[in-house]
Amino acid sequence: MVTQPRRTFLDGLLGLGFVSTALSVFYPVWRYVIPPANAEPATDSVVAGKVGEFKPNTGAVVKFGTKPAILVRTSEGEFRAFTAVCTHLECTVQYKPDTSQIWCACHNGMYDLTGNVVSGPPPRPLEAFKVNLRGEPGQEDVVISRT
Amino acid sequence: MVTDALLAWLDERLDLSELRAFIAKKTVPVHRHSVWYYMGGITLFLVGVQVATGILLLLYYRPSASEAYESVQFIVSQVEFGWLIRNVHSWSANLLIVMAFVHLFSTFFLKAYRKPRELTWVSGVLLLFIMMGFGFSGYLLPWNELAFFATKVGTGIAGAVPVVGDFMVRFLRGGDDVTGATLTRFYGIHVAILPAITTILLGTHLLLIQRQGMSVPPSVEKREKAGEKIPAEPFFPNYVLHDVMWWYVALAVLAALALFLPWELGKKADAFAAVPAGIRPEWYFLAMFQTLKLIPSHVLGFEGEMLGVMGFNIAAVLLVFIPFLDRRAADGRPNRLITFAGILAVIYLIVFTIYGYLAA
Amino acid sequence: MATWQRRLRALRANLKVCPHVFAAVFVGLVAAADRAAAQPAAVTSCETCHQGQASATLAAPVHDFRGTDVHRERGFTCVSCHGGNPNESDKARAKAPATGFRGKPTGQMVIAVCSQCHSDATLMRKFAPKQRVDQAAEYATSVHGQRLAKGDTKVATCINCHGAHGVRLISDAKSPVYASNVAATCTKCHADPEHMKGYMLPTGAPLPTDQRAKYEKSVHHAAMVSGDLSAPTCNDCHGNHGAAPPGVGAVANVCGTCHTVFATKFALSTHSQIFDKGCVECHNNHDIAKPSDAMLGTDSAAICATCHSDGDNGFKAAASMRAGIEKLKAAIAHSQGLIASAENAGMEMGEQSLNLREAGNHLTLARTAMHAFDPKTVEIGTVLEEGLGLTSKVDAAGQAAVAEVSYRKTGLAVSLGAILLVVVALALKIRTLKSSE
Repeated sequence: MVTQPRRTFLDGLLGLGFVSTALSVFYPVWRYVIPPANAEPATDSVVAGKVGEFKPNTGAVVKFGTKPAILVRTSEGEFRAFTAVCTHLECTVQYKPDTSQIWCACHNGMYDLTGNVVSGPPPRPLEAFKVNLRGEPGQEDVVISRT
Repeated sequence: MVTDALLAWLDERLDLSELRAFIAKKTVPVHRHSVWYYMGGITLFLVGVQVATGILLLLYYRPSASEAYESVQFIVSQVEFGWLIRNVHSWSANLLIVMAFVHLFSTFFLKAYRKPRELTWVSGVLLLFIMMGFGFSGYLLPWNELAFFATKVGTGIAGAVPVVGDFMVRFLRGGDDVTGATLTRFYGIHVAILPAITTILLGTHLLLIQRQGMSVPPSVEKREKAGEKIPAEPFFPNYVLHDVMWWYVALAVLAALALFLPWELGKKADAFAAVPAGIRPEWYFLAMFQTLKLIPSHVLGFEGEMLGVMGFNIAAVLLVFIPFLDRRAADGRPNRLITFAGILAVIYLIVFTIYGYLAA
Repeated sequence: MATWQRRLRALRANLKVCPHVFAAVFVGLVAAADRAAAQPAAVTSCETCHQGQASATLAAPVHDFRGTDVHRERGFTCVSCHGGNPNESDKARAKAPATGFRGKPTGQMVIAVCSQCHSDATLMRKFAPKQRVDQAAEYATSVHGQRLAKGDTKVATCINCHGAHGVRLISDAKSPVYASNVAATCTKCHADPEHMKGYMLPTGAPLPTDQRAKYEKSVHHAAMVSGDLSAPTCNDCHGNHGAAPPGVGAVANVCGTCHTVFATKFALSTHSQIFDKGCVECHNNHDIAKPSDAMLGTDSAAICATCHSDGDNGFKAAASMRAGIEKLKAAIAHSQGLIASAENAGMEMGEQSLNLREAGNHLTLARTAMHAFDPKTVEIGTVLEEGLGLTSKVDAAGQAAVAEVSYRKTGLAVSLGAILLVVVALALKIRTLKSSE
């Protein structure tokens, strides 16, 4: 009869519709439950890299939350971390290996490796962060955290 | 074919013959007002959406004052489709409350609460209160500025209840002020306590509806009693398909809202910041809030706020017990007073919600 | 020979005392001071008599000396500075010339009395090894010292700034020469028009008395008041004991002790040869306001326009530098807006926020580079270009984020289409079910 093929076509259409809507619901859900690249919100701590990436008497600026942080490895191999936001006019500081001090290029502010101001215009010392090593010996992650 | 084989396998073990007969025979009346039958179904669908998106959000959300805001930000910006899940959850919550009210008022005006469906009504009204509780507790969870202060004001109002007011405030807040303790408590209420109560109430509500079938308006019942045959459609597959169709419409609305009107995250809550100007609760509490603002501070020697809060509590109790107050409905007789009160309530809610919006 | 040494010799001569006796008394006084340090000071007859006096001028010193006083705490007494016999209760005998009594020192005598200890390195080493011992020598080079030598007694001496009785360490917050109190101490005289009447600038104009009022409007005062004690006050630019205004050509060096980068650039610029007043030419000396970009440029509000006119190289450079800075500022603002709207739509823009911060740093660097006053605007041009490069990188990322949002909307449109398909199909299905009954 005439109604039979129409019903099958309609059923087919319905089936297609159900499947495609189910897909458009389950595909996002599937992608959602797979953990993203950064596993955690990086507010209170961030992994700066592997131990081996940081040579002694070098510094590196990393993203910590919404602001930059500076990680310094002293000549003795010890890790120190501070906010990289200069307390004068908020320029990003950098590490100066020749004097082993933290330097702000904007107005020549100098900080020592405890974050205290040595010379120049900065009115306050740099806020210090904690650095911990985490993981397999020799391949640890360097973790900067606020507390 | 697969489904048939599956059903046969289950039938062998559970004897579904009674259930299958029940469903095959079940019909739903069709008349001028039968479109309102779908309102409850849409509300149920939205509850399902809330449970699903809520569970997904649970995978990444952190209920502590120092991490809540950041975890929601993380979900929205880092997790794939996190923005979609979160926005659907927020929008579905609001749509759910709207549909719950529509469902409430349609069953009210169609007098579906009359005998023998009193318990269906009671469980339904309690469910409405639970849903508003979900909204209130969930609103705080992103721990943003607006939510923080709205919760402060809202929980403070509970203190206006005489005798138990102070206890209630401390119980809700987990302390004297809104702090991280409040957040954890609200989280527990939102994901465990209220869902448990909902399961029981919703289960009861649905079971009663299945057992008793759909109510018909008094006018249709009169025609039925006079001997007229009221047309009906089979529950399965007609009504079910019709219901599913409306669910899909709701889904389309949700998806569009989630993308074109994304929910803002706002600023992180700071307990020591000044209260932002024009702070107000979510829209479904706005009518009550605006009313409380208008009551003078002292009326006849009583504190105005206390009178307002007690007034709302009394109204809520009356709402629960409507089936027992409207005795005439059982006989199918109209009750001008109840209908009038209902219309007044609708007008009051709409006007004061708009008023509350404009006043802020 | 320093003035104070001359004065000491004159004192000796005036007292008509045998030089040997004088020397003995002098040495005795110093020795007494020495010994006194080893034991707590006993109550002197000076105090006993003076504290009971009706006149406040006579009684107050005892009260003040008995409060917080750095000299008393180290065992020095009235006689250490005033001479006299501390054990003699009879006034005439206590103040006999033979005792070395010199009453209230004034003018050059003050310098002589203070420096009898404070310029003696051997003595000072016993009490404050790191303290300098050249204050008197410095003072002699100052405007105050030079005028005092000419006989002007209105100028400040040691006690005008440090006090006489109740002298506190300079690290004591209540000391008149504690960093945040210096301005008030200096302007006790310098802001008093009556006191300053008759003093002239080298140009012949009267010495101004509004320095404090101006300083309190300055960004240095604001820093001091907010707790940064390293902020400059009067002595940081004028010197302590050798106080004098920085001379021509020295201003930039003085400012440059803190503002090193600007001073270096300025020193190499053409302006350093032209500006008599160095940094002060544009920034003022006492009312140094927070600088703004409006100071640079060629419009009426800009400072450049006071010397430069249309057509000259400076005019062109000023115009281009200001235009460059404004361009970078606008680019940063635009990028910030783009990032904000992308974030609101759910895109993660943290990396771009950092880049934008770096662009802001370039703006700061540009404002520094400007002080090279290079007609070819090489350095500032490079810095600004780098900044603009950063903002365009951020813009690109922002556009990509906006595109992603559009892509999501397309994805949604597709799934909406699927949903509507189902709705329509269901409606039709229901219709056919109804009709087949």
